[in-house]
Amino acid sequence: MKKIEFNDIAPAFYSVLSIVFALITGAVILIFIGKNPLLYFGQLFFQGMFSPLGLVESIIKMAPLLIISAGLLACFSAGLWNIGVEGQFLIGAVLAGWSAPTLASLLPYPIYLLSVAALGAMGGMFWILLPAVLKARYDMNEIITTMMMNWVAINLVTWLVKGPINDPTSVPAQTALIPMEHRLSMIPFTSIHIGLIVGIICLFIMHYVIRKTTLGYEFRVLLSNKRAAFHSGMNVARITIWGLLISGGFAGLAGVSDVLAIKGLFQGDWNPAYGMTAIPLVFLARFNGWAVVPLAFFFSFLSVGGEFVARDQGVPIFFVHILEGLTLLFFAASEYIEKRRAF
Amino acid sequence: MNVPPLIKTAGITKSFPGVLANDHIDFDLFPGEVHTLLGENGAGKTTLMNILYGLYQPDEGHIEVCGQKTRIRSPYDSLKLGIGMVHQHFALIPNLSVLENLVLGFEGGFILNMKDAEKKLKRISEEYGQAIDPHELIQNLSVGERQRTEIIKTLFRGSEALILDEPTSVLTPIEAEELFQTITTLKNAGKGVVLITHKLNEALAISDRISILSLGRKIAELNGDELRSMDEKDATEKILNIMFGGKPIPECSLVEKTISDQVVLKLEDVEVMNSRGVVGLNKVSFEIRGGEIFGIAGVDGNGQKSLCEAIGGQRELVSGRIRFRGEDISRKSVSKRHEMGISYITDDRMNEGCVLDLSLAENAILRGYCQPPYSRFNIIDNTVVDRFANKLIMDFDVKATGPYVRTGTLSGGNIQKFILARGLSTEPGLIICSKPTYGLDARTVNYIQELLLEESKQGTSVLLITSEMDELINCSDRIGVLFNGKIMAILDKCDATPEKIGKLMLGIEE
Repeated sequence: MKKIEFNDIAPAFYSVLSIVFALITGAVILIFIGKNPLLYFGQLFFQGMFSPLGLVESIIKMAPLLIISAGLLACFSAGLWNIGVEGQFLIGAVLAGWSAPTLASLLPYPIYLLSVAALGAMGGMFWILLPAVLKARYDMNEIITTMMMNWVAINLVTWLVKGPINDPTSVPAQTALIPMEHRLSMIPFTSIHIGLIVGIICLFIMHYVIRKTTLGYEFRVLLSNKRAAFHSGMNVARITIWGLLISGGFAGLAGVSDVLAIKGLFQGDWNPAYGMTAIPLVFLARFNGWAVVPLAFFFSFLSVGGEFVARDQGVPIFFVHILEGLTLLFFAASEYIEKRRAF
Repeated sequence: MNVPPLIKTAGITKSFPGVLANDHIDFDLFPGEVHTLLGENGAGKTTLMNILYGLYQPDEGHIEVCGQKTRIRSPYDSLKLGIGMVHQHFALIPNLSVLENLVLGFEGGFILNMKDAEKKLKRISEEYGQAIDPHELIQNLSVGERQRTEIIKTLFRGSEALILDEPTSVLTPIEAEELFQTITTLKNAGKGVVLITHKLNEALAISDRISILSLGRKIAELNGDELRSMDEKDATEKILNIMFGGKPIPECSLVEKTISDQVVLKLEDVEVMNSRGVVGLNKVSFEIRGGEIFGIAGVDGNGQKSLCEAIGGQRELVSGRIRFRGEDISRKSVSKRHEMGISYITDDRMNEGCVLDLSLAENAILRGYCQPPYSRFNIIDNTVVDRFANKLIMDFDVKATGPYVRTGTLSGGNIQKFILARGLSTEPGLIICSKPTYGLDARTVNYIQELLLEESKQGTSVLLITSEMDELINCSDRIGVLFNGKIMAILDKCDATPEKIGKLMLGIEE
């Protein structure tokens, strides 16, 4: 039996520590705005985690986070910063909303599901193709290009559902409703859709890909030393494009999952902005697929619980974003401390 | 001596995961002396100097500067205390002038006062006999002049103690001679100089004291005058005895080898641009036959890198052709050339040769990760990789605790051994070796040279780029001299003399 040393669990320790510090700081902020932190966090935890309704809701919300994180694992571990998850998600979602009602009536259920998923994933990949090529070919900063593509996506999908793919039978700008029997099926005996399982599978596949495959190896070399990658004959451009395409594809897939399982259609002004949650999440997990799962649960519980509490205690829902932000801030601080410890 | 030492370390201890880099080291430097540090790779010289420079904090022990106990928390502290360091790699900004580089970081206030700075520079130049044009851009200076600028920089900042880390490794013989004069001037002016070197003859020529480190401990301190009063050979032997504990250094065996008639590498009018977009190689043609070691001499930055990369495949040819075993490889990719049997061992170990953040095992397959047995169907076989890395570590006696250590924790010399081990493991047909022994200790240098000779005896061709004159002449069968991207001349081993090569290196034709 191997003795567990502090260095082995240090990453987990620091991540948990940053969450704890974020909650404490959150409590201080609550006191300043005249709310009772004990009451707030009490209800947050009780309703988000310990009530059956909250728990199920939190678990359902994990699905898109898990799927997106799976893709981010790939690009982040190659040192490529896809900040445009939101846009790729929307493109995947709008493609699903548009194609699902038609394809459902033409194809048998499993094939229909796979084709919509493939379409959405390809949509996400397509949306990051331009930034990927610009990065690979001209070393143009992908943080900026992917972020700009977000805005293009947000406006594009709004325009699409107002015009070209609008469902003329309904008043709001949206696509046709997908009938219940064509939605994503549930995990047996629960009201949780199979997106969760898809997410976990994607995550572990990517976890494995990064650690065990040649592509993952190329990613890791690229992250730490691009010159060594080039010197040893790796095709840096190809690796860059793959890293970004994979992350875009998974983001598109997450969009499909949400439309097919929860929304049932695509609405013009719908944008859950999962990217802003998934990006810090993957960092907190230190690019470790296993660690993403509990953290995704925590973040999704925060947003579900936050919604409940917002209604009861008049603390804006945005407060959970503050908690998320604080977590990341403390995480950055902990990384600094850890680096200092190493010397 | 009544004067307190400029620098004194007492019981300095520093450990890194898995290694004790410094083990209770006592070291001191007095004004007006040259104190040389000798030691094997990984002996702890660099760590000790980095502690003095404020990059690392010692775990134990303390530092005294001019008799005052002090703590050095950063390079800035170190500079303020009068310790100046000249690294192997210069920290100068190429597109700024000498003067601008000097005031860098010490601008003093919001408005630059270049007039005063220039006056100060002039004073220093005169005092120490260091002529330099203050308005020349660094990029137009030779390596020797850049080094001089670095030394002036430390003086400019009022350093009393100068640490020179392997200063001659980048210099031509003539420049090295000038450097020694500079060091003597500094010494006579009352400055203290710490010289880190691997070259015993330099240490013997110039040191007042020589300290020898081994495995993190200081094992001897010798008096320079005493050594100089001995026969040179005896003195060298004495030092080597202490350094390697009597283990004999293998003599380079001079067994006759046969060079085959088969041309392995052939360059025909090769032209490439270097990384700055200027002509890097200018119509270079030569050929290397099987079992031949072809040496390339030249002052750094005269096209060596371009030449390596043109053959290795990292740099595109503008014109010309490269043939390997008769096949045109001018347009082939790096990995393709590697598969064909060209192994390029770069001199930029830290930035190109390996990934410091990854483990030795992961670095072992940097070239071969796509091929069996290291990976099958794109899945990497970790057991095979670990075994392979372990073999490299064992065969080349790399000082590392195992294949899982982060490469960045190894000393420079051990990283080089590992990279060489990897480069030779594929049994290549052609080895491009750029400064393979740069910064290594005498025993490792011998070992590596022996290894290259051994490889060539088995029919492998070697392109040996080196700035060490001895290595060049001892190892090479023929020598090409690069100047300004051009091959000035190709000399046979028998008529290559240091003087002849030295002249050609500076572009002087017979």
